[in-house]
Amino acid sequence: MDFLVNSEKETENLGKQIGVQAKPGDIICLNGDLGCGKTYFTKGIALGLGIKDYITSPTFTIVNEYLGRLKLNHFDVYRVHDIEEIALLGFDEYIFSEAVTVIEWSNLILELLPKDTLEIDIKKEPQLGDNYRRIHINPSCGKYDYVTTLHTKL
Amino acid sequence: MKILALDTATEIASCAIIQEDKILGEINISFKNQHSVVLLPLINYLLESLNLTINDMDGYVVAMGPGSFTGLRIGVACVKGLSQGTNKPFTAISTLDSLAYNLAFNDGIICPILDALRDNVYTALYRFEDNKLNRLTDYMVLSIEELGVLLNKEDSVVHFIGDGSIKYKNALLDLPLKFSIAPPSLNVVRASSLGELGLLNLKVGKCEDLFTFAPIYLRKSSAERELERKAGL
Repeated sequence: MDFLVNSEKETENLGKQIGVQAKPGDIICLNGDLGCGKTYFTKGIALGLGIKDYITSPTFTIVNEYLGRLKLNHFDVYRVHDIEEIALLGFDEYIFSEAVTVIEWSNLILELLPKDTLEIDIKKEPQLGDNYRRIHINPSCGKYDYVTTLHTKL
Repeated sequence: MKILALDTATEIASCAIIQEDKILGEINISFKNQHSVVLLPLINYLLESLNLTINDMDGYVVAMGPGSFTGLRIGVACVKGLSQGTNKPFTAISTLDSLAYNLAFNDGIICPILDALRDNVYTALYRFEDNKLNRLTDYMVLSIEELGVLLNKEDSVVHFIGDGSIKYKNALLDLPLKFSIAPPSLNVVRASSLGELGLLNLKVGKCEDLFTFAPIYLRKSSAERELERKAGL
């Protein structure tokens, strides 16, 4: 399913709806170019999980962990996307747990991803305007069916 | 000789203070993998309860792996810090050896199984011979199917122990084997068993190097992982 949004708030709002409905063990793969809004989307997911902390980009830490209704593991593998290095971090223990895991730039570590993930691609739409984004949401299996309830109304 | 042994490689955080002839104290806690938070308070509590200080320890024993990557690093980092700070030696014992030792003096094959995720397990095969634990194979990371093929050649009864034996119980039941699964009270990597094996090392001066020692992680090769991915696992 595709959504066209025109502001950071709308991006965050989509993430929030996912956060509210996310289940233990959900793995959310966030892909898109620099500055397209992946971390904003994740802020939304965190809000939906009732996390009060300030969400920052894990570009330097590789992974940040937060506690909410469920634990949230927030990965950004842009800087370090060597398969062995990510695996040695204990990647499997993060994703195969009761936490919700969000992985920015997951397209860089395809080999490590299991089959049942929620794929989210964010694209800029420069011909429409600087703030426009097309957000494509692709649930790989039944456990992510809750995405059919998503809407862009603020 | 008094030693402090600890292990954080699995869901259980375990620490024990032992001497040659007895366990002075042991704490095992399974609490949502908060090992980095609970470990040092546990050690402190153990020492205070026994009216001892860290300087009363003659050496340390830690689990070298396999197990949780972050868990292993928490344990090893802690022991390295204690070892360097108190200037006492440390040694490392395999989590699989320690589990096998929980079933001391059993006849048959002893097969500790630790969950390695993605339907794989960490395992090795042992027998007790001449009152000693004898490891028959390398430390391995295998799928349950591959383990089944390995055990197919065995006539003896097989004793499974470890968190993997619970998680993959149904797969084990499918194997054409006479086997047992250890009860919950034995099914944990215990710092006291780890320590007993490690004490033997420390007594003969077999210690690890503070700066070069690293845990054993046991990862499948990328070729093996690629095959698994293609098979849709």
